[in-house]
Amino acid sequence: MPPCKNAGMLKLIKAHRLGILAWVVLCAVGSAVLGRLELAQTRDAFETDARIVHRLLSQRAVQHDAILATLALLQAGADNARPEQRLPAVYPQILTVRRRDRDAAWDEPRFAAADIQSRTAKRAVLADTDFANGRYWVVLHADTSYAMQIDMRSLVQWSEWPMRVESNPARVTLEAAGQYFVLQAGAPGAKVWRFDFSKHLAADSQPFEVVAVRHVGWAELPWGWMLGWIALVTAVMAGLVAAQGQRVARRRAEELLRFGQVARLNTLGELAAGMAHEVNQPLTAMLANTQAASRLLAESPPDIDTARGAMTQAVQQAQRAAEVVARLRRSVEMPNLASQLRPLDLQAAVRNALYLLEPQLRNCGVDPLMRPAGEISVLADPVAVDQIIHNLLMNAVQALEEVPRAERKLTLTLEADKGQGVLTVRDSGPGIAAEVLPRIFEPFFTTRRGGLGLGLSLCETLATSMHGTLSAANAPEHGAAFTLRLPLARQP
Amino acid sequence: MNAPLSPLIHLVDDDEAVRAALSLLIGTVGLRVQAWAEPQAFIAGFDRNSIGAIVLDVRMPGVSGLTVLQQLVEQGVDQPVIMLTGHGTVDMCRRAFKSGAAEFLEKPVNDDALLEALQNAVRQHVRSRERQQANHVARERYTQLSPREREVLGLIISGLTNKEIGRALDLSPRTVETHRASVFAKLGAESLADLIRRYAAIVESGEA
Repeated sequence: MPPCKNAGMLKLIKAHRLGILAWVVLCAVGSAVLGRLELAQTRDAFETDARIVHRLLSQRAVQHDAILATLALLQAGADNARPEQRLPAVYPQILTVRRRDRDAAWDEPRFAAADIQSRTAKRAVLADTDFANGRYWVVLHADTSYAMQIDMRSLVQWSEWPMRVESNPARVTLEAAGQYFVLQAGAPGAKVWRFDFSKHLAADSQPFEVVAVRHVGWAELPWGWMLGWIALVTAVMAGLVAAQGQRVARRRAEELLRFGQVARLNTLGELAAGMAHEVNQPLTAMLANTQAASRLLAESPPDIDTARGAMTQAVQQAQRAAEVVARLRRSVEMPNLASQLRPLDLQAAVRNALYLLEPQLRNCGVDPLMRPAGEISVLADPVAVDQIIHNLLMNAVQALEEVPRAERKLTLTLEADKGQGVLTVRDSGPGIAAEVLPRIFEPFFTTRRGGLGLGLSLCETLATSMHGTLSAANAPEHGAAFTLRLPLARQP
Repeated sequence: MNAPLSPLIHLVDDDEAVRAALSLLIGTVGLRVQAWAEPQAFIAGFDRNSIGAIVLDVRMPGVSGLTVLQQLVEQGVDQPVIMLTGHGTVDMCRRAFKSGAAEFLEKPVNDDALLEALQNAVRQHVRSRERQQANHVARERYTQLSPREREVLGLIISGLTNKEIGRALDLSPRTVETHRASVFAKLGAESLADLIRRYAAIVESGEA
């Protein structure tokens, strides 16, 4: 990146550093919350699965105890019957069953030892565990003792297993005395977070521990959701920035408009002050000369020669004042509008003026009602038309401010009539007083405090110089109506 | 000090026609007019001892009438100043009076208003010059008193009787009486009231 572009980037970052900070914080916090939620959910699922596994295995172990106990009870009557030989057919996990008849001895020392242990403990005990091959023996002492070999692979009915054995990432093992048997291999992976579960089987005869471990890696975080969240935050903040930018631009435009108005007023004020001085000097001289003359003539005897000189001076000063006024008029003479006329859409001009004055209208609580009549193309000077409409609307707003808010109505009517485009601006203000109406377009005539009385006068001059007219009347109900008529671009 | 025969009005305005017309008008009531086109030339050249008044236009090229007014006040000019303006604002009027203007008139100015203002100003100036003159004479006489006589004068003005003065200054009433007669003679006072009116201020400022 070239250095200037870099600097621009830095400036941009500096200007929006609070926004950028907020964006980073929102993204980070949101993503962290989403990650924590996902992890908590994963842990819950894992622990539920582990508890189900523990319950299934415990049920099996208890079942083994029950089977041995049943065999011990059955032995009494049955001499030759060997019910235990049928067990492997019924229970898939039981591989073989051995017995020691009453008063006989076990042929294998491992059973004999377990038998003694079982007699003391008064419950079944483990005789031999071979987790490497997935086998173990359980022995229960009775008059006729039984030993049962269990196949750990068949310990679980896989249809009841709560997880998909092949694909579930959790590792599940049965552990006892340093040996372990893997029931579910799980998936090795990045080990960032680790969940553990470990619980003894609910049968003392088979003191195994169910151990489940689940590793969670980065890949398992809810990246999709996180990216979605970041996208959402970005979109919302971009929207806010754009809205603020628009607001700033709008405010700036309003400021510019107001500035223009103030500047125009200042120019007028300067002009008026300059004019006052220029005209005042000859007026002062005239007044002093004529008054001196009348005093000289009143003397006895009257000093006629000096008085005549004073009167000559007065005449010269009157001519000087007239010249000042003529020069002033020449310097502010209106450009010849008639040569700049071109077709323009009156309706578009009205809309433009309404748009520019929207803040004032809103402040005043006025919703202008516009009666459109399609495109009305008139021959006019665009700037002059804008100025006239702007002035008429401002006047209407000022008139409306004198009546209660609820009564404020502003109606704009557009129509084509007798080869002229006609715009009527009607307000529901106090209307125009009868004695004011004939003088309303006179220059420097105003009813407003601080008004120069030039607005309507200027509008009328502009309208006339475009071969149009501007007229004022009171509406039949109440309020004032100003009507601007301009020649249509195409005569019908 | 030699006061001229008739008061002199200084007229400062950059417009020749205005100067000529106003000079003529002011002359009809027997006042002498000296007209100035340049404010700086006026400040540098006018006779500060003359009895009269100053008529000053507010709006002049180069230097504002208000600035000229301030310079005059700073230089201790005692002639009353009448300001003329084409478009007087309340603010400008306030500033002019604050700066010491005697009168503020709008152009074009009516003859009665201007002439009355001028005559008032002249009367005011004459009185103030007379007061100054009397003060000047009194001061000179006061310096002729001996220290003892000044002490006696101070006590007389404080309202003490001869007896009380004698006690205060450890003098016999007769000696006090001699000093008292001498003070009255040297100062040209006709009565005790006259003495107090003319010399109280001087005694107080002299003793302060």
